[in-house]
Amino acid sequence: MTDWQWFFIDILQAFAAGVLVGGTYGLMCVGLGIIFGVMRVVNFAHGDFMMLGMYAAYYLVTGFGVLAFLGPYAAPIAGALLAGPIVFAIGWLMHRFLIANVTGARVISAEAEGHYAQIILTLGIALVLANGGLILFGSLPVSVQTPLSRESWEIGEVLLNKARTVGFVLAVALALLLYMFLTRTSLGKALRAAADNPIAAAYVGVDVDRAHRLAFGLGVGITAVAGGLIASSQSFQPYIGFDFVIVMYAGVVLGGMGSILGAFWGGLTIGLVQQMSTLVLPYQLQNTAIFVVFLLIIFFRPQGMFGRVWERT
Amino acid sequence: MVLVRILCVFAMAWVTLLAPGPSFAQSEVKVGLIAPMSGPWARQGDLMVKGANLAIDDINKAGGIKALGGAKLKLIVFDAGDTVEKAKNAAQRMVAQEPDLIGATGAWLSSFTLGVTEVTERAELPVLTLSYSDQITARGFKYVFQTSPTGGAQSISTLPALMKMAEAATGKKPATVAIISDNTAAPMSFAKPMREGGIEKLGMKLVVNEIFTPPLSDATPLIQKVRSSRPDLFLLLPTAISDDKLCLEKLHEFGLGRGRVPVISNGAHIGAPDLLKNLGKDLLEGVMTVVANWGAKGQEDIIKEFVAKTGEPWITQDSISTYGDMMIFKEALEKAGAADRRKVAEAIRTMDTTTGPAHYFPGNRIKFDENGRRVGADVVIVQWQNGVPLTVYPPTSAVAQPIWPKR
Repeated sequence: MTDWQWFFIDILQAFAAGVLVGGTYGLMCVGLGIIFGVMRVVNFAHGDFMMLGMYAAYYLVTGFGVLAFLGPYAAPIAGALLAGPIVFAIGWLMHRFLIANVTGARVISAEAEGHYAQIILTLGIALVLANGGLILFGSLPVSVQTPLSRESWEIGEVLLNKARTVGFVLAVALALLLYMFLTRTSLGKALRAAADNPIAAAYVGVDVDRAHRLAFGLGVGITAVAGGLIASSQSFQPYIGFDFVIVMYAGVVLGGMGSILGAFWGGLTIGLVQQMSTLVLPYQLQNTAIFVVFLLIIFFRPQGMFGRVWERT
Repeated sequence: MVLVRILCVFAMAWVTLLAPGPSFAQSEVKVGLIAPMSGPWARQGDLMVKGANLAIDDINKAGGIKALGGAKLKLIVFDAGDTVEKAKNAAQRMVAQEPDLIGATGAWLSSFTLGVTEVTERAELPVLTLSYSDQITARGFKYVFQTSPTGGAQSISTLPALMKMAEAATGKKPATVAIISDNTAAPMSFAKPMREGGIEKLGMKLVVNEIFTPPLSDATPLIQKVRSSRPDLFLLLPTAISDDKLCLEKLHEFGLGRGRVPVISNGAHIGAPDLLKNLGKDLLEGVMTVVANWGAKGQEDIIKEFVAKTGEPWITQDSISTYGDMMIFKEALEKAGAADRRKVAEAIRTMDTTTGPAHYFPGNRIKFDENGRRVGADVVIVQWQNGVPLTVYPPTSAVAQPIWPKR
């Protein structure tokens, strides 16, 4: 094969990697986007909820082997999907007993609508989850063992990693399901009402606190599924959340704060930029490239790709 | 009034009893260990602590420091965390909170050691380190002692050794080399002489030369470059297990694993038991790593004791070197005859021995040059064979024959 042919394959391979990695980023961003969109809470602990999802998948598949009977191909997928409800329950309880105290109707009259308290609280939760994880799970890097992460489907000379491809398909499916839930069901409409105008929503009978609780649980649960999917490809330890939380924020802002669809595209764009920038820039500048593109988009479209004009970043 | 006098007498007696006096022999001597105990490198810190604790147990059981009346060694551990800033803060806490430390070992990652030793140098605290970066002992510091060969020295002695192994196995010299490293201090130091003409001087061509910032999110574009260039030697130089996993799995996925492209790494993390848990033995078979120390021929007793007491499957560089560091401190304390950090540093500076602590380092000699680099420090090459990383070079330390991957 000639150098030009290899160069062409390099481009296709980087594009494929960008799309596949970006799909999972997109799902993470959707989780964060729901929480911000509905509750207007900047959740600094979001990466750590993702870490909980990774450990949930790990213990279900490899650690305790509860799902081992499904075999090495299906068990990691089932583990990732089950991580969602587990972390949803944790998120629900955390909202009920902690986050509800600094959000919603209780803090409407508070200074900056309670945002200072929210930032401190979510940062505190992030620290407790990461350090608690260190005590509970230990510092050893672990991963969900599966042949999916080392096998690929071939399309000509382009290889698609099986774990990443399955992750991408599930991410797109979940994002679509969530979109349909928000737009087609009465519960979803209640969530959107609580997001758009909590006072008016309360007047028409929407339980805003309950809607917030559902949004928080859904947000962290969806991100936990994304974490569970990544746990097959990447080894992790309790501090991994920090590596992803910046990507998630960039994705949400890039897509447009408050837009669920935008959050997915934001994550996908980040994945693409991260992987494709290596074709022209030194690999070390991979993450710098993300923020250059991020700044350019924010410069030309302050509301993000899909954000509403009055919701500027 | 009588009652007041009696109370005064009791108080004076109490103060006299509490006051330290020359009649009290020193009961313990504190040694510091500063290494990552949290974050992505926490496992390496844990292995260092295990090696240090074992050595301290052995020293104390054998009667402690005889020159100090049998004083026991006590290990004080400080968490260097996951950033250079945290490591430096930990070093500041270490010198401020423990003024009677006689020395320390650390801080595993070269970047951390560079930061930590800026603090310990000002405090005149001797630090023994297994970190590789040349910079650690190129700054004119007087209280840093590097037991490992520097990254640059490793690089210079590694390539000829690898070429000999390749030639012996395949009958021809490797012609092309790929280097992929992260941008932390140790791999940069290791790869620098190769990147700056060392490869060409040996008659080979550098076909891939990439540097990344850890941790990786995906290794596809990186390994794709190896796939399109098919080098005869692939120097894969990350420092985190998550990056090891991504790169080695991607090699396998692209059909380059299990010996199709010979993979040589640098550092002990490639031989860590955790990597086996994350990757499985098939993907690691034949992978080599260049390290500064490893369980070797003649150390069977200590390896057996380590395995029995810690439950680890084998002893890695982090544990054996830290074990050896404690033995160096013991030797220095015996020589200095005082639990004084400056005297201990002077004793290390003038130490020249082929016995005692020398037994735990390749080259079997403890002598440091004027920069603080250990004289005669040589590289060790370890290779994964059937799920166990075994020393295959140098021949004096080797416990197995090297297997050169066939293409």
